[in-house]
Amino acid sequence: MAAVKDSGFEALEKLKSTEPPVFLAPSSISEVARAASQYLFTKLKPHNPKSPFDELLVDGFDAEQIWQQIDMQSQPLLSSLRHEVKRFAKSPKEIRKIGDLAVEASHEGDVDEMDMDDDNDVEDDDDELEADESEGEEEEEDGEEEEEDEEEEEEEEENEGIEDKFFKIKDLEDFLEEGEAQEYGTDYKNKKGLSKGKNQNLSDDDDDYDEEDEEDEDEDEDEEDEEFGAFAGDDNEDADNLGKARYEDFFGGKKKETKRTMKDAIEDEEAGDGNQGTEKLSTHEKELLKLQSKIEQMEKANLDPKHWTMQGEVSATKRPKNSALEVDLDFEHNARPPPVITEEVTASLEDMIKSRIIEARFDDVQRAPSLPTKSKRQAKELDDSKSKKGLAEVYEEEYVQKSNPAFAPATFSDELKKEASMLFKKLCLKLDALSHFHFTPKPVIEEMSIQTNVPAIAMEEVAPVAVSDAAMLAPEEIFAGTGKIKDESELTQEERKRRRAKKKRKFKAESANHPVKKARDTNTEIHNTGNE
Amino acid sequence: MADSTQMEVETATKPAAPLPTKPIFKPLKAHEMSDGKVQFRKIPVPPNRYTPLKKAWLDIYTPVYDQMKVDIRMNLKARKVELKTRHDTPDVSNLQKSADFVHAFMLGFDIPDAVALLRMDELYVESFEIKDVKTLKGEHLSRAIGRLSGKGGKTKFAIENSTKTRIVIADTRIHILGAFTNIKVARSSLCSLIMGSPAGKVYSKLRNVSARLAE
Repeated sequence: MAAVKDSGFEALEKLKSTEPPVFLAPSSISEVARAASQYLFTKLKPHNPKSPFDELLVDGFDAEQIWQQIDMQSQPLLSSLRHEVKRFAKSPKEIRKIGDLAVEASHEGDVDEMDMDDDNDVEDDDDELEADESEGEEEEEDGEEEEEDEEEEEEEEENEGIEDKFFKIKDLEDFLEEGEAQEYGTDYKNKKGLSKGKNQNLSDDDDDYDEEDEEDEDEDEDEEDEEFGAFAGDDNEDADNLGKARYEDFFGGKKKETKRTMKDAIEDEEAGDGNQGTEKLSTHEKELLKLQSKIEQMEKANLDPKHWTMQGEVSATKRPKNSALEVDLDFEHNARPPPVITEEVTASLEDMIKSRIIEARFDDVQRAPSLPTKSKRQAKELDDSKSKKGLAEVYEEEYVQKSNPAFAPATFSDELKKEASMLFKKLCLKLDALSHFHFTPKPVIEEMSIQTNVPAIAMEEVAPVAVSDAAMLAPEEIFAGTGKIKDESELTQEERKRRRAKKKRKFKAESANHPVKKARDTNTEIHNTGNE
Repeated sequence: MADSTQMEVETATKPAAPLPTKPIFKPLKAHEMSDGKVQFRKIPVPPNRYTPLKKAWLDIYTPVYDQMKVDIRMNLKARKVELKTRHDTPDVSNLQKSADFVHAFMLGFDIPDAVALLRMDELYVESFEIKDVKTLKGEHLSRAIGRLSGKGGKTKFAIENSTKTRIVIADTRIHILGAFTNIKVARSSLCSLIMGSPAGKVYSKLRNVSARLAE
């Protein structure tokens, strides 16, 4: 165990000695850290009889697991410490009894603090060190801060109205002092003593502790750590106040205002402290102050979230209600804006109307000319009467029309058309005769008609005025020939022969045209003969 | 045996006699088609067509005998018209056409209309009864028949003229003579009349259809 302790102590020393950047890079320092944490764990073991672990198990364990182990040990420890604090608060006499113990413990506390110096940015060690820090702090508070408690309690009583477990003016001041020290490089420790004022650190260890604590907090860039430390410091002090948590503690309106005023006071203090400390400032300094304030304003504006109009695409949910009404929005219009009606516009319109009326140039809508309609199909009239033609004739006509349209007999419609055209021609002729200057005789239309050689009287009126038997035909039409006609008795032999030969020739010619008729049907003949 | 380097070629023996030339037969005449047997058709004469047959006998006889070259006679005892092919009947279908022609006359068609059957191939006769379309009894039937014919037969004539068909309404039987499509149109208009549509409606339909048929 002693050897382990030694190794653990060495590990801690080593951790303390290593440079902070080494923690950032993964290196063998993790092994050392593990050893150190094991050592610490075993150290704290006697104070916590309830812990299930005898030693911290680090071999092959994850950071989370190691942290869990530490947490398991520390939780009951914290509660026991709180209990102890309460006890001491009630009976301060007992503190002195533990005074010796505290001195011993302080050594270990120092040792603890040393590793707290290290940068906590290493992932593996971060959690462990935090826990260690808290543990260390808890332990120290157990012994040493009891002395500070009284003094701080005094301060507390003064500032009860402002402070609560979340906010400590003392801590705020300390933080601000640190910042200043960082910037201006003033003697921090002296300042510390001044600002602290009332606190009388009984032992150097306390100072060391405080400084180191502050340094730790200073070096720690995590505000959380700092806060955590502050909480840790406050936890025990305000243990009594936990039960009395009020709304004002959380959401105290007063607090904010006072905080601001306190801050202003501190800033003024700082400003005053920062500069030569004289009340009257030179013009240059005044200008500088103004610039500073401006700079701060601008910086603040930059840091704050932008106004919704500067945020690019903003939907209705992202901006306050009815905020678009207050802003003069500019967007493109697709349509032309409606014309503004002024007196000039109306006057011009009226002038145009008047001139148009005078000209009678109205822009009336004209009916569009309809397309040339197809000539109405000849609607075939439904003939109600019995058709005079038989079906065969109907088809015959149809066939003839298809094959040979020229010889097709005129249809009923054609005849009507012919009659109509004839009537029209006659009318035109009469009108032309009336209108033309030069005489044109009637056109001769060849017409054929049969004339019978009947006495004219038969064809004319029934009761003739005068009886006349003039033939319809002219004498030339009756007989066409020369005048020389011989009687039968006057003919000579040769003339008679000539006459007979002519007759025969004529007869032969006629018979050649008309061939002999067929024989009659035998069936009927036989039938007839049969009957007979 | 390598006497001859050339292949031995057996001279093919000439065929005994040259093959006979392919025979060319003239197309069979109707008379010879059934092995020289004569074909008959017998068409019964209903009693109501007896007198019209007597009156129009010569009009039937002449085209059948002269143009179709089919023997035709009336069997008075059996009350049938008999048709027979002759030796010079040119085509088999002549007999059938003549039979159809005579049958059409027996149904009630006129001679000039029935002759179309002889002259054209694509004409048919379709018959149906009124009860095939709709079951009608008593007065309804009479009214339907009246609707079909129209006043003075004008509806029937209108259908006939517009569709180039001939219609015979014999009591409850209806016969239609004409080309296939025309028969269809006439039948549909007749059926619509039987079903009860007014004549005016049928006329309008006929007007539309006849224009299309005429094209």
